[in-house]
Amino acid sequence: MAMSQRSTIDFNQGWQFMQNGITKLKNILEGTPETQFSSEEHIMLYTTIYNMCTQKPPHDYSQQLYDKYKESFQEYITSTVLPSLKEKHDEFMLRELVKRWQNHKVMVRWLSRFFCYLDRYFIARRSLPALQEVGLTCFRNLVYQDANGQVRDAVISLIDQEREGEQIDRALLKNVLDIFVEIGMGLMDCYENDFEDAMLRDTAAYYSRKASNWIVDDSCPDYMMKAESCLKREKERVSHYLHSSSETKLLEKVQHELLFVYATQLLEKEHSGCHALLRDDKVDDLSRMYRLFSKIPRGLDPVANIFKQHVTAEGTALVKQAEDAVSSKKVDKKDVIGLQEQIFVRKVIELHDKFMAYVNDCFLNHTLFHKALKDAFEVFCNKGVAGSSSAELLATFCDNILKKGGSEKLSDEAIEETLEKVVKLLAYISDKDLFAEFYRKKLARRLLFDKSANDDHERSILTKLKQQCGGQFTSKMEGMVTDLTLARENQTHFEEYLAHNSNASPGIDLTVTVLTTGFWPSYKSFDLNLPSEMVKCVEVFREFYQTKTKHRKLTWIYSLGTCNINGKFESKAIELVVTTYQAAALLLFNASDKLSYHEIMAQLNLSDEDVVRLLHSLSCAKYKILNKEPSTKTISPTDVFEFNGKFTDKMRRIKIPLPPVDEKKKVIEDVDKDRRYAIDASIVRIMKSRKVLGYQQLVMECVEQLGRMFKPDVKAIKKRIEDLITRDYLERDKDNPNLFKYLA
Amino acid sequence: MNKLGRGQRDKLQQFMLITGASEKVAFQALKASDWQFEGAFDLFYSHPQPRSAADTRHIEELYNRYKDPYVDMIMADGISLLCNDIQVDPQDIVMLVVSWHMKAATMCEFSKKEFIGGLQAMGVDSLDKFRERIPFLRSELRDEQKFREIYDFAFGWAKEKGQKSLALDTAIGMWQLLFAEKHWPLVDHWCEFLQARHNKAISRDTWSQLLEFARTVDPALSNYDPDGAWPYLIDEFTEYLNENGIIEKGKLSEWNYKS
Repeated sequence: MAMSQRSTIDFNQGWQFMQNGITKLKNILEGTPETQFSSEEHIMLYTTIYNMCTQKPPHDYSQQLYDKYKESFQEYITSTVLPSLKEKHDEFMLRELVKRWQNHKVMVRWLSRFFCYLDRYFIARRSLPALQEVGLTCFRNLVYQDANGQVRDAVISLIDQEREGEQIDRALLKNVLDIFVEIGMGLMDCYENDFEDAMLRDTAAYYSRKASNWIVDDSCPDYMMKAESCLKREKERVSHYLHSSSETKLLEKVQHELLFVYATQLLEKEHSGCHALLRDDKVDDLSRMYRLFSKIPRGLDPVANIFKQHVTAEGTALVKQAEDAVSSKKVDKKDVIGLQEQIFVRKVIELHDKFMAYVNDCFLNHTLFHKALKDAFEVFCNKGVAGSSSAELLATFCDNILKKGGSEKLSDEAIEETLEKVVKLLAYISDKDLFAEFYRKKLARRLLFDKSANDDHERSILTKLKQQCGGQFTSKMEGMVTDLTLARENQTHFEEYLAHNSNASPGIDLTVTVLTTGFWPSYKSFDLNLPSEMVKCVEVFREFYQTKTKHRKLTWIYSLGTCNINGKFESKAIELVVTTYQAAALLLFNASDKLSYHEIMAQLNLSDEDVVRLLHSLSCAKYKILNKEPSTKTISPTDVFEFNGKFTDKMRRIKIPLPPVDEKKKVIEDVDKDRRYAIDASIVRIMKSRKVLGYQQLVMECVEQLGRMFKPDVKAIKKRIEDLITRDYLERDKDNPNLFKYLA
Repeated sequence: MNKLGRGQRDKLQQFMLITGASEKVAFQALKASDWQFEGAFDLFYSHPQPRSAADTRHIEELYNRYKDPYVDMIMADGISLLCNDIQVDPQDIVMLVVSWHMKAATMCEFSKKEFIGGLQAMGVDSLDKFRERIPFLRSELRDEQKFREIYDFAFGWAKEKGQKSLALDTAIGMWQLLFAEKHWPLVDHWCEFLQARHNKAISRDTWSQLLEFARTVDPALSNYDPDGAWPYLIDEFTEYLNENGIIEKGKLSEWNYKS
């Protein structure tokens, strides 16, 4: 054909030329020996089309060529491709299909290159599908449409075989599934509708069957391990041959069938379910449980619930254990918090550590589990043991760590750590103000009787408490510690004063600790009749204090003082370290040999309670400084006492302790009183800002405001509201008695 | 005045008879309240009409009859005498209504101002008129609004001077009296409860809320809201009723019901 002059190409001729090219292409595809297309042949074919399309009408054959292009595929598919597919089945069919599809793609690629010119103008002008699309659509309509069902079933069957452990040709499946994707020509609808839906259904059915067997036969941990490995394998399946978009849907189906459906049964399995795993500390299994259940909707809620129940049960068991241990002790030691309570607090700390580790490690710090732990601890941490509230127990525990000769002998580091943990436990206790009061009372004893073991630890725990509960919580305690430092300074000044004022002489060595009333617990000050020796001391100090400041009033608390007194016994003199009360009693015997109970009480001017206590410590305890008639074990008002000259001890100096009065009742009373003020203040504060508020709302806000320190009783709030009405702070609304108004 | 209709003239006559007002005053009151008796009475009694000198003089004479020889007040003896004169028992609840009109500060004594003001408010300047007025005063207790006012007044009147609360015995006495007029089936239980469990004075809030309770809550406590803003004493009363089987399953036990 001459190229120099553009002579019109006749259609049939032109087409024949093209047809030869197409045949050559088919041969290549079929594997028949053929040479490759040379670039000349390529250009020729392209140009033929070009010419036939750009000839002048009626010789512009674009439409016919377009149709012929399509027919080429149709003819090839119908004559060659379909028959080859129909005679094969299952895996062989799949292979054939893949091969045919690859071929088809090549054919489309080549032919659309040859016919490329049509793509340029013709299809746009006529708004027709592009060549590529036409080619692929032929395959879809003629091959895919009918075959896809069979193909799908074959693929799914292979997948199930693989699930059962057989080896399958993954590459083949990938290629087949690629067809589903590609045949959609940009959309995933063929893949999804013709394959994925059925695959997912089949998967669901498959795992449903498996699960129904496993749930009966397997223990919870075993089941979970199977579930976990199934999920792993399905995920791998996606990466091997499924389309990535299937991953979420596939895993969700598996999770649903294996976990969601059987969640409750699994967790509640008698000997291997969640409870059992917790009981037996199966940390790995619990971690797995967390991983698996976190995937299903609200899957973790029941797990967290069981966790909470478990922790609560363990905690409550500890409480009971402690109660039983205490009640089996001797009756007379009932009011003193002893060893069992100490052990209890230790165990609670250990329990907290253990389960916090669970929350951190197994449950990956999930908020649900933090909350479960918190709720559980709040339940049993607010139960007291043997009449002592948990607030008191914690305070005593701290006291034992911080005081000299306390029952806990620990290194500095261990102490710091323990204090840290105790403060954390405080967060669970609702009566924090009660703890503060007990702590303060014990701190006072430690500071005043020089029983504090380590100043740094004292300050350190106050810092921790401040961080957790706020500055107001610790302000008084910090004041107390500071007072002692100031008191030491003050004592130095006192001694200087004495040195410079020879007429000011107390007669005995005197150390005075001046306390700021507001910081310290309230002490009843009794008007003890001071022995004459001490009266002068008080006078001298008073004068000294006047020189420092005239604006402060000194109140002497003799019940807190200590005295070193020399007892001249027959065999040897012994120094006795006693409280001021005891010293006062003993000094009475300098003037009289024998004194009755009533005489002692009258001369000292103390209450029965105090007199009984102090006489007991001097006559019925370890060191019998006084002889008692009759020599019974308890003090009665008819007893008579005399100085025991024959008393002796191998030590030159002994301490005669005076056991403190049980503070428990007073502490609780004080705290109740403070709470009443706090509730009042809170109500007034709320009403002042709101002016008008409904009853329910008022109670709610009050409870919230006070929650940091204690849980106010609703009845108590109601009583305070009524009291405030009587005191004209509030009034009820005339029309609605449930509404309160603030009275300015 | 001459243009009055028959009905209006009747009303006028009736009004004058009941209140003892002059024709002019009666006419004014009725006209102002659109010829409705209720409104006219209210108007008349809440705005004591300027009295002629004669009226006030009569009342002052009465005052002098009853006043104590040593103090410028009417004390217990004087009150006894008054009660005798008007043929009313001193314990009769109508005396409470009288005291209310007088705005008396404390029971068992009337100041001059209280006595005179009270009699004027009641439209009374002679013992005859006083006696005649008694039925009307009694009827005021049946008015819902007035009963409430009288009830609330009773607290301040019955308590000791200078105290904020009302002694329990006095309160119980007052309640018995008041709730005899306006029936409340639980009044005896309430009094028993207070004596058994409370034994302290009664606050004003509790006093006034109790009336609310008696009025709105049914004796079987079916519509009682335990989470409501009732005074805590009333909450405890309901617990007491439940504990002692007085209220069983939301019904007042039959043998306890007093109608």
